[in-house]
Amino acid sequence: MKFNMDKNETFIKAIKSNERLIYKMASIYTDSIDDRNDLVQEIIYNLWKSFDSFHQKSSMSTWMYRVAMNVAIYYLKTAKRKVLTVPMDGQYLNFQETENNNFEEKLQIFKQHVDNLNLLDKGIVMLYLENKSYQEIAEIVGISESNVGTKIARIKEKLKKQITKQL
Amino acid sequence: MMELDDLKNSWEEATKQINIPVKMIDRATHAQYKSNLKKIVYPEIIGSIICFLGAVYIGCRFNELGNGFVKGIGILAIGVLVVLPILSFISLLQFNSIGDVNKPYAETLKDFAIQKIRFHTFMKINSTLCYLLLVSLIIVCSKFFGEKDIYENTYFWILSFSGGYIFLLFYSKWVAKYYKNTLQQTEDLLKELES
Repeated sequence: MKFNMDKNETFIKAIKSNERLIYKMASIYTDSIDDRNDLVQEIIYNLWKSFDSFHQKSSMSTWMYRVAMNVAIYYLKTAKRKVLTVPMDGQYLNFQETENNNFEEKLQIFKQHVDNLNLLDKGIVMLYLENKSYQEIAEIVGISESNVGTKIARIKEKLKKQITKQL
Repeated sequence: MMELDDLKNSWEEATKQINIPVKMIDRATHAQYKSNLKKIVYPEIIGSIICFLGAVYIGCRFNELGNGFVKGIGILAIGVLVVLPILSFISLLQFNSIGDVNKPYAETLKDFAIQKIRFHTFMKINSTLCYLLLVSLIIVCSKFFGEKDIYENTYFWILSFSGGYIFLLFYSKWVAKYYKNTLQQTEDLLKELES
């Protein structure tokens, strides 16, 4: 019982200290606030389920990024097949306090830039913007460090071309 | 317009206020939380039950099918009625399975791309099987409920084969057009991941 309490507290602390990364990941992979809240919940649920398998081989945030990005992919897959979304009774997630106009505005600008990228590049850009080192990006994504460098250079080039086209 | 590096600061600034309520974290850690990712799709289950009942019905009245040709068509109908839901369930299981969320992102993307391509193949097989089922059910039902055997009518064969062929042709073209971009992107992504 005490072990469970400790585990619960440790988990809550871990989530609280990485809450921004979870929310940001969910924002990038979804198009509506409802979907975003659903995805945040799914990410937390999956982090909790695999919390025991985290053996500190990597840092807590690296592990969380990995789980969050993988869950986002599964979410995208099932969201397309969703016929009906059942609201979670009495458990509707209230993010009104945090969802200020500033965030939504910046999110739209960000999405304008990255929505045309494929899922691999999107993930890499997201981690790059999170100030992750090439080594960390390589660890989360599962490609070599040199490949990360090449891809980031290509993505920058792609975005530049995209912007020139828009102008 | 900003460039990638300019976005960094702007993004960082915009996400400073984010706060996930403890109540919400607590909820996800409780056993009764139901993940949306494992949702069972009821239309597929109902469709499968109807298919199996159809197969059982034909099986029960199999001796009424008369000559060897119609019996062969009956076996074909039973076969398709059994295979269709099995294929549908396999495809559903692949779609609904949540793999290891701890594995690297690139591996998940690779699995995702392979499943997407498989799903497209499944759609093609499915439409051909549906057409075969339609023709065989018309013959079997005409034997069960009709006064005359429809398969003895030459127009039936001309219409069902030529009509069916034209339908399959247009349907497969529409499917190919509909999925063209998505499939191309998926194949490109797969190539990139395998390189």
